[in-house]
Amino acid sequence: MKLEPAIQPRPATRITSLLSGSRRKRGRQGLWLVPLLIAILIGIALALQTEQFLSRENLFNLVAQAMPLVITAIGQMFVVIVGGLDLSVGSTISFTTAILALDAPGYVLIPAVFVLAALIGLTNGLVITRFNVHPIIATLAMQYVILGFARMLRPVSGGTVPELVISSVAGSFLGIPMPVIWGVVVILIAWKLLYGSRFGLHLFAIGGGVASGAEDAARNFGIADRRNTVIAYVACSLFAGLAGVFLAGRIVSGDPNVGLLFELDAITAVAIGGTQLSGGIGSLHGTVIGALVLALLSNGMNLTNISPFVQTAIKGAILMFVVGLQSRKKMGL
Amino acid sequence: MINLIEMSNISKSFGGSRAVDGVSLELLPGTVHALMGENGAGKSTLMKILAGVHQPDSGQIFKNGHRISFNSPKKALEFGISTVFQELSLLANLTIAENMFLGREPLTRFGAVDYAGMNAQTADALAQLGLTLDPEALVSELSIAERQFVEIAHGIKADASIFILDEPTAALNAADVDVLNKHIRRLRDEGKAIVYISHRMEEIFEICDTVTVLKDGRRVDTRPVSEMSPASLIAMMVGRTLDDLFPPRATETGSVVVDVKHFKIDARSKPFSLHVSSGEIVALAGLEGQGQQKFLRSLIGKFRPFSGTVTIKGELLEMPVSETSGIRRLHAAGVGFVPEDRKEEGLFLGLSIADNIAISLVSERGEMSIARRYRDVINTTMASMRIKAEDASAPVSSLSGGNQQKVLLGRYLAANIDVLLIEEPTRGVDIGAKSEIYRLLREFAENGGAVLVLSRETIELIGLCDRLYVIHDNTVVAEMPAGNASEHIILEAALSA
Repeated sequence: MKLEPAIQPRPATRITSLLSGSRRKRGRQGLWLVPLLIAILIGIALALQTEQFLSRENLFNLVAQAMPLVITAIGQMFVVIVGGLDLSVGSTISFTTAILALDAPGYVLIPAVFVLAALIGLTNGLVITRFNVHPIIATLAMQYVILGFARMLRPVSGGTVPELVISSVAGSFLGIPMPVIWGVVVILIAWKLLYGSRFGLHLFAIGGGVASGAEDAARNFGIADRRNTVIAYVACSLFAGLAGVFLAGRIVSGDPNVGLLFELDAITAVAIGGTQLSGGIGSLHGTVIGALVLALLSNGMNLTNISPFVQTAIKGAILMFVVGLQSRKKMGL
Repeated sequence: MINLIEMSNISKSFGGSRAVDGVSLELLPGTVHALMGENGAGKSTLMKILAGVHQPDSGQIFKNGHRISFNSPKKALEFGISTVFQELSLLANLTIAENMFLGREPLTRFGAVDYAGMNAQTADALAQLGLTLDPEALVSELSIAERQFVEIAHGIKADASIFILDEPTAALNAADVDVLNKHIRRLRDEGKAIVYISHRMEEIFEICDTVTVLKDGRRVDTRPVSEMSPASLIAMMVGRTLDDLFPPRATETGSVVVDVKHFKIDARSKPFSLHVSSGEIVALAGLEGQGQQKFLRSLIGKFRPFSGTVTIKGELLEMPVSETSGIRRLHAAGVGFVPEDRKEEGLFLGLSIADNIAISLVSERGEMSIARRYRDVINTTMASMRIKAEDASAPVSSLSGGNQQKVLLGRYLAANIDVLLIEEPTRGVDIGAKSEIYRLLREFAENGGAVLVLSRETIELIGLCDRLYVIHDNTVVAEMPAGNASEHIILEAALSA
């Protein structure tokens, strides 16, 4: 027999109901309007502080700076929606840049990067679903393994990456800066995966079951829950690989430490964007907004000479505020 | 008439106990088949087998004469078997339409999920049931009744021919029950077979055609409902004799220790009063889930009742009791609570017998004081309870169910407790351990303790206790000395209330 809890879950706050977005799938997208407001507020504050902020140059710079985090956070979002977590993405990014700086032609290195990234995700997914290892431990272990590989390949930063990689992130195409094209393409691919395919719906179904404590709920509908979970981890690693390619093009070399702590920023972006880390609730647009909030914070710091420590504190405060606003039945992520 | 589904000689065991034992069941098209029996008679297990949740250990299932087998609810649905369980299986973070089509979503020409088509078809299926729910509403926004209707619509959409409804009305109000019954009749008139599990007598006689009674995992009989009366149905459900398991009852009782007045479990339930005196064992009897556990857990703060005054040993207990500190305060006042699920809620399985017994003694001391070993107390307790283990340092997880239960009880008997609130004192323990647990509880009462106990096993309550309160629909409907009670009288008191 199931008892009502003595302390009733906090009813959805007013803010939740006012800002919950469209009628469609209301409540499954998470609180993404709150971070949007935060992003706009930061933007306004910066525009009032410095004229530079709204300059064409700075805005493109902002997009270019934000792009690795946007891409990584989108990958992380797939894993989080299914009720998991991936701590290995930072190392995957470092590893990617280290590989791209090897002495080999681009047509070998670029495919190799994605094959290896897919293998990392596959291993994560299989260890988690087949051996029932908690995602935090499985991917933490993977983070060390891959970091080790990256440092073995390239102990200190250096080398050069293929010309194709460099030109793909610099300059513009038909007058549109390359980073913007990257962003649009990545978001379109993710949109199709999450909202335009069975895979995306099944991720929400599996995560919803995990979040409510009924792990086999989705399986009872005939969903291949393990396989879809593995694919989510593969997708996450592939997006991290993509972010690594972008970063490598920007720094024009291999750096075994460039992705350090990136996984935490990616998780922060996902959480600020309203995606609940217990699974089943979240959105792509929220994730992109969450990454933009973080990018705006660091861009603002560059423009206004505010101490980076203040920025870190603000980042934490925003995370606490946004996650605290979400309604949840019991203590959760 | 040709049967639609035949379950032949189905058996299923969990651990050592046989939940279903050689049961056969035939479902005819265009009939509503009631499945009745006491708590634990095997109704839900049998239906979970038909629904693909459990696989039978032996026995076969035939549909239209062809043998079928399946290992998941999804496969069962493909064979046309749709189930509405007590615990609902819809995913709360998906829309109604997504739940309806999950696992077999239609695609557009471009390979995307065809949400427009799903929503339209869902609206159709809901309209067939006379529902005007928005197909795009999230299931988490729906009431329990609406969720049940969505599950039925799910079955209709999947073109199911067999509908299993496991206590569908337990959470419904009268108006919703009427709507549900209307839909059940409509399904029946369309030639579907419906299995209906319920404890509500009037519903059985109102909408069911055939009734099968199960008892202790076996089939007692299958009869047309028209041949039965409520009394004869109850007679079929009970009919067991008391074993010689129980110690003699109390001859005299002391003063009132627990006094409950004007207690309302929820806003709509009728208020009731009850009391427990020192030296007596009092039972909360009745069908499962009628509010016994809610009441008991109100006293320790795990459930928030609507209102009531509770006095324990002359001291007023503030309602509602705090969830976080309730048990600790009661404990300080000499009240012990033994939860139903010893593995999840009661014992620390990885810790030793000694630690599990001493924990309540340790918890009486300050947080920062050094934990004493309590070696003598532990040894006395283990000896007096006849706990069979190598020594006190053995982990509790290595013990049998009966010995685990004794350790749990020992924890409270070792501490200075004079009121015991117990849920399911002998769940999952063998007959020998049962009788020892009954003896221990009686000894506790004889030494001036007061015991309030609830159990699914009515027979145990009758044998063990001095006095019974029959609880039904969140209120006390009868009080009787256990000496005069029988399963029949209790069931009748509950069902005729």
